[in-house]
Amino acid sequence: MFVQVTNALLEGFWESLKVFGLTLLFSIPLGLVICFGSMSKWAPLDFLSKSKDSFFEKFKPIQWLCKGLVWVVRGTPLMLQLIVIFYGPGLMFDLPLLPRFTATIVAFSLNYACYFSEIYRGGIESIATGQYEAGQVLGMTKTQIFFKVVLLQVVKRIMAPMSNEIITLVKDTSLARIISVYEIIWAGESFIKKGLIWPLFYTGAFYLIFNGLLTILFARLEKKLSYFRG
Amino acid sequence: MAVLEVKNIRKSFGKTNVLKGVSFSLEKGQVLAIIGSSGSGKTTLLRCLNFLETPDVGEIWVDGKLLRSGSEKLSEQQVRENRLHFGLVFQNFNLFPQYNVLKNVMLAPQLLKKGTAKELEERAKQLLDQVGLSEKLDSYPYQLSGGQQQRVAIARALALSPQVLCFDEPTSALDPELTGEVLRVIRGLKNADSTMTVVTHEMEFARSVADVVMYMADGVIEEIGTPEQVFGNPQSEKTKAFLRGAHEKF
Ligand SMILES: Nc1ncnc2c1ncn2[C@@H]1O[C@H](COP(=O)(O)OP(=O)(O)OP(=O)(O)O)[C@@H](O)[C@H]1O
Ligand SMILES: [Mg+2]
Repeated sequence: MFVQVTNALLEGFWESLKVFGLTLLFSIPLGLVICFGSMSKWAPLDFLSKSKDSFFEKFKPIQWLCKGLVWVVRGTPLMLQLIVIFYGPGLMFDLPLLPRFTATIVAFSLNYACYFSEIYRGGIESIATGQYEAGQVLGMTKTQIFFKVVLLQVVKRIMAPMSNEIITLVKDTSLARIISVYEIIWAGESFIKKGLIWPLFYTGAFYLIFNGLLTILFARLEKKLSYFRG
Repeated sequence: MAVLEVKNIRKSFGKTNVLKGVSFSLEKGQVLAIIGSSGSGKTTLLRCLNFLETPDVGEIWVDGKLLRSGSEKLSEQQVRENRLHFGLVFQNFNLFPQYNVLKNVMLAPQLLKKGTAKELEERAKQLLDQVGLSEKLDSYPYQLSGGQQQRVAIARALALSPQVLCFDEPTSALDPELTGEVLRVIRGLKNADSTMTVVTHEMEFARSVADVVMYMADGVIEEIGTPEQVFGNPQSEKTKAFLRGAHEKF
């Protein structure tokens, strides 16, 4: 029985891990895009502004869009976002539904990208301007300054908040169940019908072990980056 | 002919007029010491030279080449090319913490493809030797004292062979016992015929190293001349008052 339950749960957990892995794959770079967007200073109508602090000077569409997106995504429950992304297109625009799994990945990636973007932004803004200026006076391009000077320092600073979010993501994958995506909690729950409650409790062990492994991984990465300070 | 010629630089931040028409020139191999009280615009002047600020008005010439003309817009590429005529050593070093000493010095020349890896390493080692840090090639900035960090920063700036090397209060962030080693390095550069502009509060140093001393007050050059003139026989009342104050302080 134990082996049978373990196998069923492993199968469920594999689905959870797929959501986890794909979400990370998409949200880590997407977060960077949103982060740059929300730091964008592009003000296309600035040339119309006649005074400081005019509307035209402050009209920064990319920044507004990205900040608005982050506000909405962080301000509403992920569960609701899953439902909206899965059912919304059909209900509102008569579009075909996305496959459940795809909808899950879209919702999770968007959600986590927004959280990551804020972590990145905090990290980037915490780098002293002197680092940029040192790069500039040495004739580096903006891209070189970002990749060769700033990036690793940012990575080091965001390790702790990123590992927090990533561990939260492992647990959040259970929300996919709300739009009927099979994952480990569901797998555990399905044993209740057969009169077994312990498999549901047992799912906790899977999360614990996996998060334990992640914690070790992050500790290693942090150690790797501990060769410098700054 | 002058290496550096600065003509009528003006710069304001909003309503604050920081530089109100600054002009001077510097011959090759000369050292200019800029002194002046806090807020007089010394840093802003150096930042204009290094293209970290855009002046509102004024011209910057190096070796007879016009690098900056007022607030005329330059392409990023052009700014990068032009600013390489200058080097800047910051008050608080701004070394790159994730690279060791050697790499700090080599990074920019490498990115700018100034030579083969081997050549650049040789050159970096030679510069670090010059500032007395050949023992520290593999150290990271946090493992160094302030004085050592500042010497790395000097080597880093020298690695791009700027025509004019600027220092913004290079010893202000250092404990008093560490200023000597940095000032010695700068003195050594003078002997090697580098053209330099040093903002400093170290009057003794300015007097002994500079060929030209410039006293700035409220965004203008209040007085400029040889150290003997400015320190020994200042003409302006403001200069006299400043020097009296500086004398009492140090
Ligand atoms: N980016 C900026 N925005 C607004 N005001 C500025 C800016 N940079 C400098 N200022 C102002 O310009 C004036 C001159 O500053 P600057 O840093 O050039 O003086 P300084 O002579 O270097 O002084 P210190 O000896 O304290 O370093 C100061 O009043 C300062 O507040
Ligand atoms: Mg200053």
